[in-house]
Amino acid sequence: MSAAAIKTHSLSRQLIGGVLLAELLCAALFSAVAIGHEMHGRRRAFDVMLRGRADSLMGAVQDAEDPEDNVTVDPTELVLPAQDVYEVLSPSGRVLGHSPGSSAELLAELSASRADGSFNFRVGREYYRAVRFEGVRVIDREENGGYRRPVTVLYAAPTRDLWHGAVEAVQFYVLASVLLLAATGIALVWFLRRRLSPLQELAAIAGRVSTRSWEFVPPAAVLRTTELAPIALSMEELLKGLQLAFERQRRLTGDAAHELKTSIAVLKSSLQLLSMAPRTAEQYEAGLEGLLLDSERMEELVSRMLTLARLKEAPVEERESCDLPSVVREIAERLRPLAELKQVTLEISATEARAVAMPAGDAELLCSNLIVNALQHSSPNGRVSVVVQERGGIEGVVELRVTDRGDGIPASALPHVFERFFRADRSRSRASGGAGLGLSICKAIVERSGGTIHIESAVGTGTEVTVTLPARPTSAYAVSE
Amino acid sequence: MRVLVVEDEVRLANNIAEALRERCGFAVDCAEDGTDGAALTEFKHYDLLLLDLMLPGLDGLSIVRQVRRRKDMTPILILTARDQPAQVVELLNAGADDYLTKPFDLGELLARAKALIRRGKGASQPELTVGRISLNTVEQTVRCAGELIDLSPTEYRLLEYLIFRPRAIVSARELLEHLYDYNWQHHSNVIEAHISNLRKKLRAVGEETTIATLRGRGYRLEAPEQQR
Repeated sequence: MSAAAIKTHSLSRQLIGGVLLAELLCAALFSAVAIGHEMHGRRRAFDVMLRGRADSLMGAVQDAEDPEDNVTVDPTELVLPAQDVYEVLSPSGRVLGHSPGSSAELLAELSASRADGSFNFRVGREYYRAVRFEGVRVIDREENGGYRRPVTVLYAAPTRDLWHGAVEAVQFYVLASVLLLAATGIALVWFLRRRLSPLQELAAIAGRVSTRSWEFVPPAAVLRTTELAPIALSMEELLKGLQLAFERQRRLTGDAAHELKTSIAVLKSSLQLLSMAPRTAEQYEAGLEGLLLDSERMEELVSRMLTLARLKEAPVEERESCDLPSVVREIAERLRPLAELKQVTLEISATEARAVAMPAGDAELLCSNLIVNALQHSSPNGRVSVVVQERGGIEGVVELRVTDRGDGIPASALPHVFERFFRADRSRSRASGGAGLGLSICKAIVERSGGTIHIESAVGTGTEVTVTLPARPTSAYAVSE
Repeated sequence: MRVLVVEDEVRLANNIAEALRERCGFAVDCAEDGTDGAALTEFKHYDLLLLDLMLPGLDGLSIVRQVRRRKDMTPILILTARDQPAQVVELLNAGADDYLTKPFDLGELLARAKALIRRGKGASQPELTVGRISLNTVEQTVRCAGELIDLSPTEYRLLEYLIFRPRAIVSARELLEHLYDYNWQHHSNVIEAHISNLRKKLRAVGEETTIATLRGRGYRLEAPEQQR
């Protein structure tokens, strides 16, 4: 439920992290390639250098001046780096000479190679690169063309400096990319903060919306952002709709409370008035009669409010339908005593069976509400007509029309007649027991079944209520019955 | 005292009117809608206006504004079914003196009505005295030096109206306007008859305070100098 329970992650932090990681990888790759390239070049130069030094070593191979005309290495004239290791071998494997000061282990490692060319080896913590080649030394050239003495030259030098040199050479690039990384990181943070500020503004404004304060005005920066504008606009739309619905609901609750409180006030004051002083039996009787009427009116009010709530809540079931003309005739029959009491003629024109997509209970409520309304607004010797017919030749729409020739509704009140608790003439409606819910209930019933309700009225001429309802094939009606 | 009740719920208006007549001895007129109510306030006959807030025609708040715009100081008590603080504040700021939320206690309504009338006339206590006479507006009794004087309801109302304004001249017309509602046939000699009876009853208990008649001008409640 709470935000704390959900693990949150920041969009900007993720973005910054992602970009920096990508940059870091790039820089690492770049440095690696640079070092590799540098190492490759340096290794080749190293090899050339090794070969050169080995060649000069070759030059130091000379006649040993011994009876077997052997060769030997005379290192006295050689100028070679002290850390270099070399060995000159005869074809039989005899060591003709080696670098002075080199350890036996080092020399053994060097002479372990049996193939010509370059190779690497390691002794202790020192890495070496070595070259091995076969050479021929000709001695005693003056005597019968000289003697060819083949020798194997092995020459190695530590690569420590090679690695250090390469690193030093690319150090600049590595440093530059690290600096670049830091700079772009900072720039990115600043840029994202700036660019994402509309998002934060939107969140802040949305956070301020509550049932007390519905104000939601998306800032211009948000509306200018392609990605945010649709969210902000739909939120604005949604909130406006919600606010309207909320206010409608609040007004309804307020109105309902007002009606109920007033009804209770009547009951309570009647009781208190009756008990304020000793009364005669007749006074008590009259008081009780009034109280009974008051409570009946309150009962009516509550039942109408509950009806309306029920209609608004439950959707109509797909199959439910009824024969509207027979409902009209039945209700008219029930209301005939009221019509006679009011000396109003009630005319019914509903003969042909016409099934409509409306539950029978709803249809009864609708018809009785409309007819009672018409009767109550008629003057003696008036006339109320109820007509059920197919709508102006349109197939599939049934029309119910209730017309009275009563006093009519003022034009100013007409747009409000379907509003709950609205009464065009409050004092008279109260006297006739209405609570301003009759037409609201009719509207709810009709809309629930997918129909329309329309009222036309002129003061002095009368009122006509027209209801249209979707028709149902008569067979469907028969099945549901 | 005369009270105007503007309430569209007729049963409630009748109950309030009945209680005010019966328990306080006030004359009460009822109006069912705001327009009629506002028209009645223009006569300035009333010692208290009791207004419902939601009225057809003109709502209670508009009537309050209209009355106060005329510099009419008549106390106003509002009846409302809604008690949101903002609305109450708006009402009081517009010039209403007090309010009661429905459903209210009838006894409380009567007490508030009496308190408002009392304050509107500059009295702070429910018991008013002139000379040796003391009039209790709660019990609706009149005593002279502690001894109960038996008065008819009309005589009590006359004395109550006059005692709020001692030594001021009150015309017969004003008395008629403030003591009777619209259902009463106006005959000024009725007032004269009641005043005369009241005088007699005061004299009977030996009270020197009396009601003087100033011909063509009205009546005045006069207490003997030395006792005041």
